[in-house]
Amino acid sequence: MAPRRELASVDDRIHALGIVSPPPIQVESPRFTGSLATLFLCVRERRVDLRDVPLAPICEAYLRYLIEAPHTDFDEAATALLALSYLVERKAWILLPSEQPEPELEEQAELIEPSTHLYREAIEALRSFEEQRQRLFFRPADAGPDPYEIPFALGSASPADLARALQRVLARAHPEPMEPPARPRRSLAEQMRLMLALLDDRWRRLSELLRGPFRKADAVFAFLALLELLRLGQAAVRVENGEAVFSRAGVNPKG
Amino acid sequence: MSLGAVDLLEALLFVSDAPAKPEQLARAAGLTLGQTEQALEVLSQRLERQGGIQLVRIADGYQLCTKPQFAERVADYLKPQRQRLSRSMMEVLAIVAYKQPITAAEIEQIRGVQSDYGIHGLLERRLIQEVGRKPTPGRPVLYGTTQQFLHHFGLQDLSQLPKLPDGSSADQGERRLPSLFDPE
Repeated sequence: MAPRRELASVDDRIHALGIVSPPPIQVESPRFTGSLATLFLCVRERRVDLRDVPLAPICEAYLRYLIEAPHTDFDEAATALLALSYLVERKAWILLPSEQPEPELEEQAELIEPSTHLYREAIEALRSFEEQRQRLFFRPADAGPDPYEIPFALGSASPADLARALQRVLARAHPEPMEPPARPRRSLAEQMRLMLALLDDRWRRLSELLRGPFRKADAVFAFLALLELLRLGQAAVRVENGEAVFSRAGVNPKG
Repeated sequence: MSLGAVDLLEALLFVSDAPAKPEQLARAAGLTLGQTEQALEVLSQRLERQGGIQLVRIADGYQLCTKPQFAERVADYLKPQRQRLSRSMMEVLAIVAYKQPITAAEIEQIRGVQSDYGIHGLLERRLIQEVGRKPTPGRPVLYGTTQQFLHHFGLQDLSQLPKLPDGSSADQGERRLPSLFDPE
């Protein structure tokens, strides 16, 4: 297998030829565009002339996939290798002179009816079913509070409003820096104490409660603390101009 | 059919957060399967006549749900977050539904384009699942639809999928283009 630095040097060539990895390896050549699996099936069906398809860049893309993919799936890798070896063998039979004729395949490729146009009506029907189904509402599975816990009121705010508040503040978060693995972590109870100290009688957005530069983990942790305070009835939430705002409970009776 | 049995089944269905099979209901209610189905029929008619709840057959079972005429108000109240399936996901899903069990490479062969994104999206939504491995080189994963798929589209079972133009279908049962929850 080629070392990583050698593969890096062929990177430009690979992209120049239109080969993109990791898998499913996409092949783009003057006479064929599609995945490696599709090329394999088309060659087996003799619908593509391999003389028009350079194989070296595909092999390079495969090697890059093996080296660079964080979690290589061995089954997937084996399938790609099988397809590649078949293509190489077929191309060798085409290019190299031989007195013997190319042997016929023992079994033909198992092909399915091509193209999606056969499914067009089915897709439209499924769309129609989906729309009708969305007019029915069922008791949600694995949702709702613990049966032994009295549900807490969120007033005019919904979980979706809370989710949007988190999304907004996450969008402003800084990227996570590299950290030593044994970094001490703040407990949720401690975070709740800090959050409670920040809350007062003013209605403020989550982003206003998080001052200074913060990371995504800080935003999520603060949000969890806020949710726990809401659950315990120590924080209040309401929606203003489509955005969730928070204050300390009890100070603002109209939460 | 005693009204007590009908009421009991209504209570059982009320606390169910998933479609209940007649066998499960019969066992829980201490009834025979025949008595259960008869009571479910009575319950269905009773709910149809009055109230905001109806009984539907969905995903191989029975479940209570709101009546469609209240959909807008209920949706306004619940504010559900719904993500409509994209065209590409719907294509992959339809192919899996009709050709299951099927591998990713076979899906790509039918679509002619890479389908990893669609497959992963459908797996995340629990509309498809791995159902085994194909005994071919590489032993690729085979995909099939789930109960969640039936529930998402309001189908009782795969036999309710409409026929394809070439006449093929998801299984060999009699096929018709269903209208959702049409009266039994």
